[in-house]
Amino acid sequence: MKHEKEYYEKLGFKCGLEIHQRLLTTEKLFCSCNAINEGKKTGMKVERMQRAVVGETGELDKATGFESMKGRRFIYNVYDISSCLVELDEEPPHKINEEALNISYLIAATFNCNIPDEIEVMRKEVVDGSDPSAFQRTMLIGYGGSLDINGRKINIPSIFLEEESSGIEESNNEKVVYNINRLGIPLVEIDTDPEIKDPSEAKEVAMRIGLLIRLTGKVQRGIGTIRQDVNISIKDGARVEIKGFQDLDSMDEVIENEVERQLKLIEISKELRERHAEVGKAIDATSIFLNTESRIIKNAIKDNGVVFAVKLSGFKGLIGKEINPDRRLGSEISDYVKAVGIGGIIHSDEDLKGYGISEKEIRELSIKLGLEANDGFMLIAGEKEKVEKAMPLAIYRAEYAIKGVPKETRSIDAKKNITKFMRPLPGSSRMYPETDERPILADHELYEKLKKEAPNIDELEKRLNKEIGNRQIVEQLIRSQKLHDYLYISEKIKGEHQLIASILLQKMKELKREGFDVDSIGNDTLICIFKKYMDKKITKQAFEPILKALPKDCKEVERIIEEKGLQRISGSELEKILKEEISKYGNDKGKIIAGVMSRYRFNIDGEEMNKEIDILTK
Amino acid sequence: MYSEEIEKELKKQNIEPGDEIKLISKKGEFKGTLMPRPELGDNSILVIKLENGYNIGIKFEKGSKIEKIKSKSIESPKTISIKHKKELPDIGLIYTGGTIGSKIDYKSGGVFMLTKPEELLAEVPELEGIANIDLNPLMSVASEDMTFVEWQKIAKAVADALKKNRGVVITHGTDTMHYTSAALSFMLNGLNAPVVMTGSQRSSDRGSSDAFMNLICSAHLASKSDIAEVVICMHESSSDTYCSAIRGTKARKMHTSRRDAFKPINNKPIARISREGSIEYTSNYRKVESEKKELKLLIGYEPKVALVKAYPNSDPLIIDYYLSKGYKGIIIEGTGLGHTPVSTQNPDYSWLKRVENAVDSGMIIGITSQCLYGRVNPNVYRNLRLLSNAGAIYCEDMLPEVAYVKLGFLLGNYKKEEAEKLLNVNLAGEITERSEADWFI
Repeated sequence: MKHEKEYYEKLGFKCGLEIHQRLLTTEKLFCSCNAINEGKKTGMKVERMQRAVVGETGELDKATGFESMKGRRFIYNVYDISSCLVELDEEPPHKINEEALNISYLIAATFNCNIPDEIEVMRKEVVDGSDPSAFQRTMLIGYGGSLDINGRKINIPSIFLEEESSGIEESNNEKVVYNINRLGIPLVEIDTDPEIKDPSEAKEVAMRIGLLIRLTGKVQRGIGTIRQDVNISIKDGARVEIKGFQDLDSMDEVIENEVERQLKLIEISKELRERHAEVGKAIDATSIFLNTESRIIKNAIKDNGVVFAVKLSGFKGLIGKEINPDRRLGSEISDYVKAVGIGGIIHSDEDLKGYGISEKEIRELSIKLGLEANDGFMLIAGEKEKVEKAMPLAIYRAEYAIKGVPKETRSIDAKKNITKFMRPLPGSSRMYPETDERPILADHELYEKLKKEAPNIDELEKRLNKEIGNRQIVEQLIRSQKLHDYLYISEKIKGEHQLIASILLQKMKELKREGFDVDSIGNDTLICIFKKYMDKKITKQAFEPILKALPKDCKEVERIIEEKGLQRISGSELEKILKEEISKYGNDKGKIIAGVMSRYRFNIDGEEMNKEIDILTK
Repeated sequence: MYSEEIEKELKKQNIEPGDEIKLISKKGEFKGTLMPRPELGDNSILVIKLENGYNIGIKFEKGSKIEKIKSKSIESPKTISIKHKKELPDIGLIYTGGTIGSKIDYKSGGVFMLTKPEELLAEVPELEGIANIDLNPLMSVASEDMTFVEWQKIAKAVADALKKNRGVVITHGTDTMHYTSAALSFMLNGLNAPVVMTGSQRSSDRGSSDAFMNLICSAHLASKSDIAEVVICMHESSSDTYCSAIRGTKARKMHTSRRDAFKPINNKPIARISREGSIEYTSNYRKVESEKKELKLLIGYEPKVALVKAYPNSDPLIIDYYLSKGYKGIIIEGTGLGHTPVSTQNPDYSWLKRVENAVDSGMIIGITSQCLYGRVNPNVYRNLRLLSNAGAIYCEDMLPEVAYVKLGFLLGNYKKEEAEKLLNVNLAGEITERSEADWFI
């Protein structure tokens, strides 16, 4: 971590999480389509347009308005067993899936939530096309819960049960192609209050929540089945939602970079206000560039395209100011116009000659815009229709630079661990009741029963401490993704818990680092190896060569032992070998061991050997 | 309505649904907007819209307290002012109700109809670039609640609208739209302009609604096409790409929920209309004639006609029932080529005598087929000949619902003998002479 806790406290750092986890049910939430098997494409495609409509409160949501402005076509690939008319918005939803409802109760119980007396199914408007109905069905299942972590209580104000969205297959400025096979798989969303104190705590809380829901055993595992969104703000900054963390390892770094970005934007806004900065009106500057040498502009205007320019009074030097590695205020503005299919903006803090823009063109533009010493400008070039859509967005973003940090939903650039603008932050006006479903009376009796079945970390920790007898390993195990493998294996093996934990946590990690794909070894194969050890067929040292050979099943384990000669030597056979060595080295234990181990490193158990030597040399 | 106990408490605190409130109960403190109680479910449960947008239901129990934080703010309704554009054609838009102009009803938890079509127009700004719209918010009647009285009103409204406009769009609930389209096809005698009926299968309060495109395509059709017929214009497929215009007397709702529910039966669509407004004509139709023809309204209607289905074990006494109630005609939806049971082992199941008796008593009995596709025939089998000889009229390839509407229309405007003669004669495209090979599913 770059900074200490106190640093974030001073910044007024606030952070909350939203964890999305797919449930393990046979059917989808509101229809009987297969929720486990992905199914096959039927070849049928359905094309739709969507538009933002005024919500329940009469307000058009900023975020939904933004998406609908893009005017893209949405195309949905239809699937055989995993989609039906319900996903296509061609049939009303069926009755809610009871299995999913019960799992969501169990998860609510895991986080000590209360459940409502009546659950109201809502429609959350989504106009990015990810749902053919233009909304996602969602409902509040639990409230007022909490989570204890490192002696701190993190509040879980709400848990929702909702539908998974479609997966994107292809996306460009004209259309987005979605696969609707995963649409409607039940999902829970778990929210924390914004009381997380620093980036590393965010990561820890995310891991703990993930662990607890997996411990229920009723959730899907694997890539894409869990997603984390992070809400962050700092004093004088703004709330930003970062969407779609899949890799928890980089979560803290992404958050650190987002804080850095906001700090820089605050600095820029202060400076702009001191300079009484202003954003001008867009003017058509195409005539200046009719004979331009700039390839980028030439290309943009070749088919009756246009170049629009805006004066940025007092912005000089600040549009190009770095706010994140390789990112500037200019890049933020560019991200806004990309939404309507424009490649980006060109601004005055850039190397304009590098773009092939001539001195003369710059001079003419300066005159046309009436630029003074501290002023800058931005240009947008391209098809007239697109530029006309893009310009108001660029102006909006530039004006916001004077105010401070805009509220946004941002995505993650996984290569650089930074965030990028996706769309404005949605407000609450995009929710309205799902009138095709009846309100659901909550089953309080069942809920009380489930509370007793809910996984409990403290009890698990106690149990593990007893089993493994090593606090450090237990702590490591609880934070590790390997915990589930441990629980699965130790249930079948009954004993040698510390060995299981250390093989999973240390040996496997070490081998993975060396380039062996040991994660491909299934738990049942691991169980087979542990059994061989407990039956005294192999030694601890034999684990490494067996694992390195990546066995697929128990038969392969046996074959590897055979081929590599890894069978354990003990009893009279061991005695015979030791006697030979003793006859050579007398009572020199060190030499005896070295002699034996040089030949039988994988085959002899150290402990047994020590005992035997002691007896034989007495 | 909430339970008496809650209503009393609300009254005491001067709280109305829509107000911002705080509920303090054993379960905790809940701040948000009080929602009206959905009619379904437990009325002792308060529904509150929380700040995060979610609704939550919390039981109002002993010791619960409810406080008002803020009265609801009154929204100013959205209005649009329409400027007349000389370069655009004028069309009428008659609003009759249905999903196409509906919003959520928080009381019933269902969708309710808008009485202000301006709201719908504000949602579809595209219409402004297509035509000058002469709006007539005629009625707000659910499709299933339509009767011949509404058909008559709509027919009159169309005639009125056509005095000033080149075409008319009618929004209508989808369930019985094809009955209304048939009725209008008969009532608007000598029609010389496009009359386009449209609706939606997804209410317009959702972003995925088909209402927008259906309305846009219908407006294009009414303002540009030379079709002088009543047509239904709705989605051609599940996609938002094309709508099809289907002859009003050959259209049928064939799916409970899909966008492309309306299909032509024993016919082809007249045209397909793209979202952008291009019209491709796909079969023959009656064209608008340049010489002004006089539109004659024939809005008489005889409601004492019935549509009856014949099926195995069906009781033919249903005919006697209608006869005893003074009915003037019955359309029978027969099986296959137009059968009813006639030579049953148990004579109680035979319809033959009952049909004979009805015809002798002065009723008109028409025969159609529940196959929907294809033409009935009075000759192929002996049983068909028996029924035909009893006086039943075989209605060619006319849809049962259309024959039913037509019979009421005929009896309402013509003498019985004439009505009898016209029943299986084509008046408005409801009967074709040839069954083309590509007219089937």
